Formats: sequence, structure tokens, C-alpha cells
Amino acid sequence: MIPSAFEYHSPTSVEDALGLLGRFGDDAKLLAGGHSLIPLMKLRLAAPEHLIDLGRVQGLSYIRDEGGAIAIGAMTTHSAVAASELLRSRVAVLAEAAASIGDVQVRNRGTIGGSLAHADPGADLPGVMLALNAELVARGASGTRTIAAADFFTDLLSTALEPNEVLTEIRIPVLPANTGSTYLKFANQASGYAIVGIAAVVTVSGATVADARVGVSGVGETASRASGTEQALRGQPANADAVKRAAQQAADGIEPLGDIHASAEYRSHLVRVFAERALNTALGRAQGRG
Amino acid sequence: MQLTGTYTFKAPRDAVWQAMLDPENIRRCMPGCEEFKTTAEDQYEAVMKAGVGSIKGTFQGKIQLSERQPPSSYRMGVEGGGKPGRVKGSGVLTLTDQGGTTLVAYDGDAQVAGLIASVGQRLLGITARKLIEQFFKTMEKQIPATSA
Amino acid sequence: MAGAHVSITVNGKSYEREVEPRLLLVHFLREELGLTGTHIGCDTSQCGACTILLDDIAVKSCTMFAVQADGRSLTTVEGLAQGGQLHPVQEGFWEEHGLQCGYCTPGMIMSVVGLLQANASPSEQEIRHAIHGNLCRCTGYQHIVNAVQYAANKMAEGAKQPIGAD
Ligand SMILES: Cc1cc2nc3c(=O)[nH]c(=O)nc-3n(C[C@H](O)[C@H](O)[C@H](O)COP(=O)(O)OP(=O)(O)OC[C@H]3O[C@@H](n4cnc5c(N)ncnc54)[C@H](O)[C@@H]3O)c2cc1C
Ligand code: FES
Ligand code: FES
Repeated sequence: MIPSAFEYHSPTSVEDALGLLGRFGDDAKLLAGGHSLIPLMKLRLAAPEHLIDLGRVQGLSYIRDEGGAIAIGAMTTHSAVAASELLRSRVAVLAEAAASIGDVQVRNRGTIGGSLAHADPGADLPGVMLALNAELVARGASGTRTIAAADFFTDLLSTALEPNEVLTEIRIPVLPANTGSTYLKFANQASGYAIVGIAAVVTVSGATVADARVGVSGVGETASRASGTEQALRGQPANADAVKRAAQQAADGIEPLGDIHASAEYRSHLVRVFAERALNTALGRAQGRG
Repeated sequence: MQLTGTYTFKAPRDAVWQAMLDPENIRRCMPGCEEFKTTAEDQYEAVMKAGVGSIKGTFQGKIQLSERQPPSSYRMGVEGGGKPGRVKGSGVLTLTDQGGTTLVAYDGDAQVAGLIASVGQRLLGITARKLIEQFFKTMEKQIPATSA
Repeated sequence: MAGAHVSITVNGKSYEREVEPRLLLVHFLREELGLTGTHIGCDTSQCGACTILLDDIAVKSCTMFAVQADGRSLTTVEGLAQGGQLHPVQEGFWEEHGLQCGYCTPGMIMSVVGLLQANASPSEQEIRHAIHGNLCRCTGYQHIVNAVQYAANKMAEGAKQPIGAD
């Protein structure tokens, strides 16, 4: 399968990439790891006339502890996120989600920025960003702005990024003490994409759940928070019974997709089951039990 | 590729029927419509450049309305070619009166030649549904405000 | 559209070519350079038959453009044997019957070489995880896992020999 012809641009700085985006507008697409865009181009479901490769732009691949937040460059690969000691020890949910993406070769090329900008309904990371209250840093011709994850995923395959903006950084606020997190997914066996993916972040205070955040990937047209479950769990005793009750509401307010892999009803069922499992794991970690 | 779904219009069934079969409305509501002409009664030719997110394509094709059963159902056939390949499909639209509002249900089947079902289908199905929803949403706005 | 000039090192040899930007890396290898050891299985980024090493990292060459590899160094299955001597991973596939039809084998081998560079003594679990992106329709994978273990042992023995020993 051969994509439509295009002109290739290989800028070395974000400024140059922005200049090219400004010049070619709607006819241009950014290329990061290419593991969403190139398959679409091969099927000719996308046929940009100009491809602006971010592969040679310096300084977009890093994972840094910046005190109040961990900053991750947009071109950081899933492999690098999965292998990062900093993320594994401090934000397990993100490292685990990255490790669960596709296969080794996909993780070696695919990037965190590309995954978030593409906003595939089956992608793992959007729900994780929601559960972590992450901030996404976008650069455009007129400057830099920070978008809260909650405002970023606007619709199916659509984000708050303007067509002339580049996503440069993802910022993960430091999690409070006594917090545990995990990512659990029911994957499409062939591709690895989430049929249901649950990102759970739980903070305990003594024997009580102080806070719970649950991001849901793969189920609706965009990732979302299971806010019913979160509310039902806050202030409750930190135990499996409370988790079980709260998880019953995990699919509320989500309009599940139905396809050949899983019907809408089955997806809703899986959300509740996986929310319970993920919350129990996160709770256990918050309490220092693994 | 099976395409089914529903959309509820906040308008009475007669008004929805009239709007949906009016060529001028079809032109206005078709996402990314670049050209539109009536070639015969209930037969149109259109060019649309539409998509969702990274998925974008240009389609050129014929639309044929048939099996009219006013005001409750009709069939819409589409045939044409575009960047992703040749498209051919047809479906029945059913309008159900719900006392002031109208439930429009569509049930159709579309083939996109050259697309490997398992790969293209995952995103293509939801993208197509999204475009159909856009069509209905704009269509709803074309219906003069009623007391419903 | 304008052609692009690329300079790519493959198996230690440098190649300069004018290519169309849309040329996929796997087509560059197979059609421009005649290195047909790298296979195209699915062409939809799923099967791993096209796996090569890009600066020592396993990637699917059907999901990259040749222009993206400009200035980089690649290894394909043709680059593994040295002086008529099979690479330990190749030898492992031979000895342990790690293949039947052989279609998946070049990609499988490249993934395994990538694995063993990062992890010299992987567990069975780690081996299976590392070849998750390589589909085989024949072997049922068990013999492939055995082949990888064979190769890991062989490479460990090789590493133990004093420098200069044969
Ligand atoms: C076989 C296979 C299995 C997969 N399995 C999974 C899975 O299990 N889970 C999962 O989550 N994903 C999966 N993926 C997708 C993979 O994670 C992709 O790498 C990712 O979705 C896109 O990242 P990319 O860097 O490849 O982006 P690209 O494909 O290069 O780009 C994707 C889109 O984002 C835009 N973009 C990229 N970077 C930026 C930026 N910095 N700023 C603004 N816009 C940008 C591009 O213009 C393009 O529209 C799979 C992919 C394949 C091929
Ligand atoms: S041919 Fe590249 S993954 Fe199948
Ligand atoms: S040996 Fe035939 S596909 Fe693996």
C-alpha cells in the first residue's frame, strides 16, 4: 500500500516547524512516530500534501523532574516512558500504560505527543492524562499556552490543539503522599488498542479514601473520567467493599462504542469490572501493599 | 461496513421529512460539500471534502433517493470514488413520530473497496457515524423553529 | 513531487539515493537496494515481518518512510552473518527449528537481536513479550522461544571466552 505523494519537510527547531505549519496550513500534517499517521496514509484515509517531520527537532525528547511536576517532551517514545525509573516509581499508571501499548516496535517509534494529539478512541494515554490532571503545553506562532487534560480531548480524534500548534510538553503534577496508581486494560488482542482501559489514582488518609480519580479509555468516542465512581469513593472507608460499590457507577455518563470487537453493553460491563480491579490495585499501593 | 444509528430531531415528522428531502438542504448539510447538482428527480451528484481529525478524504459521487414512503421512510444510495477508494452503499432511513419530536433511524451497509476491513473499519465506522451525525445536526437547524 | 536525497547506512555500507518522500523504508530496502531478506507480511503495521534495527532499535520498516532514516544506520537480516558464520540467533533458529515456512523469520530474528542487545539473559516471559509484535502462523512460538534461549546461552558462552581465543 502506497500513500499519496507529499512533500517532506524536516525542520530542526520548533520555530521552523511552526513556520512550515503557518505556510502550508490545512495541507500540512506533523509527523512524530508515524504509527498512527502512516497507517492512515497507506490506507489513504489521510493524504496530507506536506509532511513536517518532528524527528529531527532538537530537545523534544526528555523526562525531567521539575519539583512540582514531571515534564515529558512530546517526542518521548512510549518505550522511554515505560522504562523511566522516575515515572515507574512516581507515576506508575503512566509507565504501565505506555508499557501496554501495541508491541515493542510500536513503542520504539510511537510518541506520547503523537498519541495525545491523535486522540484515537482506542488509545491508552488520554484516560491516563485525565486521571493525572496533566497539563499539555502547546506552542503556536503567537506563543505558548497550557491546556488542562480535561479541556484537551474535545471529540472523536479531535483535540483543543489548533492546526498551527505543536504539542511540545506534557506536565504531570506530583501526586500527593499516600497515593497509589495503576493502569489496567482489556486489549484488542491483535493491535493492543484498548477495548477498555482504566487509569486509577487513589489517595488515602488513614483508613479513608481522600481522593480517587478514574480515567476511562477505549470506551467512548473520547476518553473520560468516571466521575460517579470518583465521588462515590471519596470519603469512604479504604476497603474493597467501598471500591466494589463505587465501581458500579464507572460506566455512567459514557456513551460506549460498539464494534466487531465488543458491543456497547459488553464495554459498559467491562468498565465496571476493570474499574473495580484497577481501583483495588491502586488502593493497595496507596496503603503500601505492593 | 454496517452503519446504524439514530438521531432525534426536535421537530414534528412532517417538517423533518420535508427538510430531509429538499435538495438545497441536503447540499447545505453535507459535511464539506464543495459541489452539488441535481441530475434528475431524486438524483444528485456531489463532491465533498470531509473528515474527522487526522482522517480526511475527498469524495465524488452520486446520491439516489428511492422507495419514498412519505412521511416515514426512504432509501438513500451512494456510489462514488475518492481518496480512500471506491464507495458503494445504501441504507434505509426511517422517521418515527414521537409526539412532537422525530426519531430518525438509519440502517445501511457500505463497502469501501480496497480497505482491509479489520484495519480500516475500526476508525472508518465511527468516523462515518460522526459525519452522519453532523449532517443531522445541521439539518435540524434548517427546520424552521416550531413550538415543539 | 520533488525527490529527496538520502544517505543511509545499511549493514555497515553507506548508500546514497534520490527517493520519493512517500517511499516506505521497506520498499527502499527491497527494491532500491535489493535486500529482500526483509519481508512484507501485512503492510498494516501489525505482523512484524518487516522488522529491522534502526540504530540498534527494532522498528517496523513498513511504518517508516525512507526519508526518516536519512543519516541513520540500519541492520537487516542480511547484515547478521559475519564471514560466513551465522549469527547466534540465526544458528538458534536453525538448531531449534524456530521456523517452518520462514516468512516471519527475518523480522522475528531482528526483534530477538534487539532484545538480546538490551537483555542478555531474558526469561521466557521476557522473550514472549519481546516478540509480541511478530506474528508467526506456523510454529506456535514454542520453538522460537527455544531458539532465543539457545542464542542467549551461546552468546553468553562467547562472552566468557578470553579475548583473542577462538
Ligand atoms: C500495530 C499498532 C498497535 C498499536 N497499539 C496501540 C495501543 O495498544 N495503544 C495505544 O494507545 N496506541 C497504539 N498504537 C498507536 C501508537 O501508540 C501511536 O504511536 C500513537 O498513537 C501516535 O503516536 P505517533 O508518535 O506515532 O504519532 P504520528 O502517527 O506521527 O501522529 C499522529 C497524529 O498526531 C499529530 N501529531 C504528532 N505529534 C504532534 C505534536 N507534537 N503536536 C501536534 N500534533 C502532533 C500528527 O500530525 C498526526 O495527526 C498502535 C499503533 C500500531 C501501528
Ligand atoms: S509488514 Fe510491516 S508490520 Fe507487517
Ligand atoms: S515460520 Fe511460517 S510464519 Fe513463522
